[in-house]
Amino acid sequence: MVTNPNAGPDVSVARGVVARFEKQYAVYRRKKQVTMALFGGVFALCVIAALITTKFSLWTLVEGIPRASEFLARMLPPIRLGTFGQDFSAWYWGAGEWFNSLLNTLLMAYLATILGTLIGGAISFFAARNLAHNYLVYWIARRVLEIARTVPDIVWALLFVFAFGIGPVAGVLAITTHTLGAQGKLFAEVNENISPLPLDGIRASGGNWFHEMRFGVLPQVLPNYLSYTFWRFELNVRSATIVGFVGAGGIGHDLFTAVQLLYFADVGAILLIIVATIMAIDMLSEKIRHSAIGKASFSH
Amino acid sequence: MTSQLIEITEADIAEERARNPGAFAAPLRERMKAWMAWVAATALTLFCLHRFGFLSGDFLHGVAKFGDTVISQMFPPTGYESLGMFLKAIGETVAMALLGTLLGAVVALPLSFLAAKNMTRSRPIQFGTRRGADLLRSFDYLIWALIFVRAVGLGPLAGIMAIAIVEIGTFIKLYSEAIENLDRKQIDGVTSLGGNGMHRIWFGVLPQVLPMMLSNTLYMFEHNVRSASILGIVGAGGIGFLLGDRLRAYELREACLIIILVVLTVYAIDYLSKFLREQLIGDHKRREPIDDAVQV
Amino acid sequence: MALKIEKLSKAFGDLVAVNDVSFDVPAGQMIGIIGRSGAGKSTLLRMINRLADPTSGRILVEGVFDAPVDVAKLKGKRLRQWRAQCAMVFQQFNLVPRLTVMTNVLMARISYHPTLRSLLLLFTPKDRAFTIRALQRLDMVSHALHRADELSGGQQQRVAIARALVQEPKILLADEPIASLDLRNATIVMDALRRINREDGITVICNLHLLQTAKDYCDRIIGMRKGEIVFDGKPSDLSDAMAREIYGVGEHGAGEPADDDVELAFTATQTSTSAAAEPGHEKVAKVG
Repeated sequence: MVTNPNAGPDVSVARGVVARFEKQYAVYRRKKQVTMALFGGVFALCVIAALITTKFSLWTLVEGIPRASEFLARMLPPIRLGTFGQDFSAWYWGAGEWFNSLLNTLLMAYLATILGTLIGGAISFFAARNLAHNYLVYWIARRVLEIARTVPDIVWALLFVFAFGIGPVAGVLAITTHTLGAQGKLFAEVNENISPLPLDGIRASGGNWFHEMRFGVLPQVLPNYLSYTFWRFELNVRSATIVGFVGAGGIGHDLFTAVQLLYFADVGAILLIIVATIMAIDMLSEKIRHSAIGKASFSH
Repeated sequence: MTSQLIEITEADIAEERARNPGAFAAPLRERMKAWMAWVAATALTLFCLHRFGFLSGDFLHGVAKFGDTVISQMFPPTGYESLGMFLKAIGETVAMALLGTLLGAVVALPLSFLAAKNMTRSRPIQFGTRRGADLLRSFDYLIWALIFVRAVGLGPLAGIMAIAIVEIGTFIKLYSEAIENLDRKQIDGVTSLGGNGMHRIWFGVLPQVLPMMLSNTLYMFEHNVRSASILGIVGAGGIGFLLGDRLRAYELREACLIIILVVLTVYAIDYLSKFLREQLIGDHKRREPIDDAVQV
Repeated sequence: MALKIEKLSKAFGDLVAVNDVSFDVPAGQMIGIIGRSGAGKSTLLRMINRLADPTSGRILVEGVFDAPVDVAKLKGKRLRQWRAQCAMVFQQFNLVPRLTVMTNVLMARISYHPTLRSLLLLFTPKDRAFTIRALQRLDMVSHALHRADELSGGQQQRVAIARALVQEPKILLADEPIASLDLRNATIVMDALRRINREDGITVICNLHLLQTAKDYCDRIIGMRKGEIVFDGKPSDLSDAMAREIYGVGEHGAGEPADDDVELAFTATQTSTSAAAEPGHEKVAKVG
């Protein structure tokens, strides 16, 4: 082997560095492998425990397939091209009532979005760390929003049905409660991200707290508020389709009854109405969101 | 030079108004538009309030009743002797969420490649998969649960299936968006080394999107624990079954205990999931798009 | 209107930002406060406007309210009235980004109307005409209907000064008004402040980073160091040795490089003077 005598020490130093690196890298890899194996093991155990807890059996699932497909087949009654009008109107025999329920569903979602956003928006000013002056008020506001949001809307619906009876009022209140919790939290986060400089400017001109909120905060947060509100409306339409399961109004009530009574064709018809509505609302809302918020001017 | 407001005369005002009309009032069209939007929204709100009976005395009666016979009947919570049963049901709820999410993720993973524009050349297949995913997502968990209870019977299996079906839709959307946003160069690198389609996915795509997918999946698991807690109301297993049962039997104090347990579980799972996301992928901050994609 | 600051102090925890400061402000003066960043200049101004509350001391004001008043003790409505009389211009302009220039300036009138009226933006035509006149003085009328965040920094600062004018203040505080601006805009803004002081007789107190700017524009200079006043007199009386003390030069060991801060304060001196001779300067001087 030919070696340059001058290069000797350099090479050995370099070798030392490489060796040290290799060693460290090996340790690092080993550590990572152990962590991954540990996570994997725990995860596998969790899955096994879950399978046992739920008595999950593929067999039941496979058995269910023919039943489900029969279910599906009966949901779509035969519609022949020749007698399309008759067949279709026979399928949608309950159209009048269903579309009335659908209208109620949409109006419930609208009203709950408006009410929940107004209340949640008002609370959000107290639940933002940078705007609330009193810690107790801040703490209470946060807890109220948390409870309203964490308890599922269907549970609120069950509770409201006790007090307000069967019907859309309970549904509106349930969705409103959930909405105010969710909107309040999101709005509070938006509020916490605003620039404090305009507020100083308004205070320095002799403005009071209301002026600071109206002119300093609102113009900064309104675009986000609006986009969250449209998005919340989309979610609330979905919620409004299910609160009827427990008697809180809307098309969910018709769907629940049809399923209970095994009127498969009705189930199919109602599901089709729901899916068409939701897709239409999603598309419409997205369009409005993009056009309205882009050019919105809040100056005058 | 006018330096005091008091010196401004009517003539000055008229002069300035003529020169800068926009500074005195927005154009009539714009004002009308804004005004009509406000009127329409308010009118629709009032119409809803009237239609649903919020404006009648019955509503106030209901408010009083809610305070007297619902809230006051919930406290203090009781039913500690059934705590073991409740906790078991909560375990079942978490298990349903875990299996449902896992099943959804496993089915959605291959389909998400079909739904990604940069992976599937056939537009109809790509578009069809996306729309199919939207279709699955547009029904609430509870609707699927109601249907699956009829198909596979009462119990957690119906709940697992309901969650899995909705998640297939959600994960196809989330995963395919992640795939569409990936860095083309790394895939080209694998191709240039002579890799085939499978290699490209395995070495080029997965390493890039896996952290994002894991994070999304954990986040949806967290979300699904909330969903799973109510599926029992229509008979699809979990704590919701007991909750619905107690509520329908007007056992509000026990129902209250269950609600508290559910809320605590949700918090615990939130923390666990956040911890895992930080540990596994160093995902410290929550991703906004995910928050947008699901109901919080 | 006369202002008398007596033994004013402000502490943030253990840190004393302003320490036992006293000085008189006669009506109509233009005062420059100089010093390194962290010398307490900003805190001092914010205390006078009461955006910050003094820890101790008095701020006596004559000729604003019917009787002499200690501003340091004002609360509620009277405090807001004081703030309206004591306009403030900030380094970052502090305009509301999404609102138009017009609305931003009209905001100066909020304290003159009942809250509900001003919240609904129901300002009088007189307010609006006055606002336009103020914008005219700063050559900003053509931007009246633009959003504030569409403007350049210099333009935003001019809008902020117009807002201050529409408040019809007795005194105008400017907290580093040109620190975020380029030289041309800095000159425009300083000229505008000077003109307001001369033409309207409004007292101006201006925090400045640059020594030369203060010398060029102010009747009187107050030098602050570590929260205390170390110089108070005419610009001509400010010796180089004094300036060095204000900026803390010579405190470091001989081998140590000078503080960035000081470097900036002195080197900018030449550029600032040369900017004053630029043609842009004269053009702006004609405005209003």
